[in-house]
Amino acid sequence: MLAGQERAEVEVLAAAEELVLPRRLGWLFLVGRFIRRKPLGAFGLAVVLLMAAAAAGAPWLCRYDAEEAFRVANPNYLPGSLEPEERLDSRSGPSWKHWFGTDQFGRDNYSRVVWGARRSLGVGLGALLFAIIFGTTIGIVSAYYRGWFDMLVQRIMDSIQAFPAMLILLLLVSLTERNLITLTLGLGFVVIAAAQRIVRSAVLSAREDPHVEAARAIGCSPFRLMAVHILPNVAAPIIVIFSIGIASVILAEAALAFLGLAPIEPPSWGMMLDEGRRYMTSQPSTMLAGGAAITLTVMGFNLAGDALRDILDPRIRLT
Amino acid sequence: MQQYIVRRALLNILVIFMVITMVFLGLRVTPGDFAVRQAGAQIPGHSAEEAREIVRHDLGLDKPVLKQYWEFVSGLFQGDLGDSFVSKQPVMLELKDRLAPSIELAILQITVAIMVAVPIGIISAIRQDTWLDYILRLFAIFWLAVPSFFVGVLLLYSLARWAHWSPPITNYKGFFEDPLLNMQAMVLPAVAGGLAIGAIIMRFLRSQMLEVLRQDYVRTAWAKGLRERVVVLRHGLKNALIPVVTVISLLLAAIVSGNVVLETLFQLPGIGFYVVNAIQQYDYPVVQGVVLVMAAGLVFVNLLVDMAYAWLDPRIRYG
Repeated sequence: MLAGQERAEVEVLAAAEELVLPRRLGWLFLVGRFIRRKPLGAFGLAVVLLMAAAAAGAPWLCRYDAEEAFRVANPNYLPGSLEPEERLDSRSGPSWKHWFGTDQFGRDNYSRVVWGARRSLGVGLGALLFAIIFGTTIGIVSAYYRGWFDMLVQRIMDSIQAFPAMLILLLLVSLTERNLITLTLGLGFVVIAAAQRIVRSAVLSAREDPHVEAARAIGCSPFRLMAVHILPNVAAPIIVIFSIGIASVILAEAALAFLGLAPIEPPSWGMMLDEGRRYMTSQPSTMLAGGAAITLTVMGFNLAGDALRDILDPRIRLT
Repeated sequence: MQQYIVRRALLNILVIFMVITMVFLGLRVTPGDFAVRQAGAQIPGHSAEEAREIVRHDLGLDKPVLKQYWEFVSGLFQGDLGDSFVSKQPVMLELKDRLAPSIELAILQITVAIMVAVPIGIISAIRQDTWLDYILRLFAIFWLAVPSFFVGVLLLYSLARWAHWSPPITNYKGFFEDPLLNMQAMVLPAVAGGLAIGAIIMRFLRSQMLEVLRQDYVRTAWAKGLRERVVVLRHGLKNALIPVVTVISLLLAAIVSGNVVLETLFQLPGIGFYVVNAIQQYDYPVVQGVVLVMAAGLVFVNLLVDMAYAWLDPRIRYG
């Protein structure tokens, strides 16, 4: 019975594949086609890869130590005067030595942006993995079984969502020891409720699809139905959740850092934005570097996620 | 339906109760309290430790946690949220004054968001993958990616620099007191927050429209020879908007979160600004009060939206 069912599935899939993809295509060709068809998505993916490279290679890509305070010769210095010979090279604009200028402590903004990528992406990835594993499981199981179980789970999720994310995070950071792990788990926790809700609503309609009904009719177990026949239908929402989710987590982390409530090390883009805004009328370089880094990264994830969604949604691909 | 509403309402009350209990215990179990914060304020003739004990005793923090909880809950049923540790004023009174600016700001932001999102979402979907679609999506993604507090800072900066105008930050007046002054204080945070929310709604509406426009009944509508405007607005938009309603209600928590930062940045006397200060000062009654009000508001708005959902989409039946 099971073998026959599986064979039937394979045959149907193979037939469909033959219709859609007549021959195997080289990956270079596929990349080229992706860039041609989804230029925005390709741009987004490039930004994501760039930021990922910065995050992975921060120790080699940064030009100076992120905490090093640079000094320059003091122009007011005269031999015998009270003026010190050197002063902090703070709040300087972009130059060859400091590509993005320096902040008020004379630290190199470019190096801090590079290290900030590791922090932002690390926190985002950790939070989203945590959120998607729990969110998808909860969403699928809850929508599949419905009834009182669904009702109970949804009310618990409502109570999490009733907390504005920023309020949970504010409570967390002010009540616990401030470190990146609590921050990551907190940010992930905040995403779970929304993620499972989106997955659930997709499953609610997917579970009524003829192909699910057919699979049930030939005797699939609930686990197989959920994992094999329903899960692929929610892949597109999961990708959208991941792309928007990681972007919103990076934003939330930046907001906390902006409010001065996140751990101060490693360097953070939100903190650069906050520190930079205080002296931005005289030198906006720090503020712009931090703000632009957040904006570009978030934009990259959104564009890449959008393109992937269009490609992975089978109905859209076939047209 | 009526039974469903009553059941949901009762469940919501339970949810709010759970939320407020968790916060109450969370505040008291974790280290750090108001007395420690106030250690600088010494009482003559007592050591710092004695002074702390006196402060704790005055505030009732030296009582067993369960007793404090009992007093809190019985106060709750009499509409009493306790007095603020800092200002010694009833939290209920302080909250009342601070709710209006926050609600007004949220309404203004949603208005800005809808005015931007609905036309752009429709055009982007019906012109999918044209240059117009790309420009509009880029526009949306740009506003989604820029943190609203970064937009706020940039607005403040550019207006001050080039238009020599800044909002009346120290002199806040309610809308009914002085509409003109009120709008001057509100316009920047409303635009900064509204564009970010509008971008989310636009993206969601676009993907919903794409989904709906591929449905059989839309093909039928085209085949009948209906004009594009009728097909898109009456057959497409009407159905695509239903899930958007849910998204807006889900976004409410995000709006409140975003406004915690925006209110702090623009010094608006709303509950966001209020709670950030309260958390930093360990002002427990205020934190509890704000959490209660936020949780209750959001949970019941969610219920209202679910009811609206059933009304908008007759296929959905609650039982």
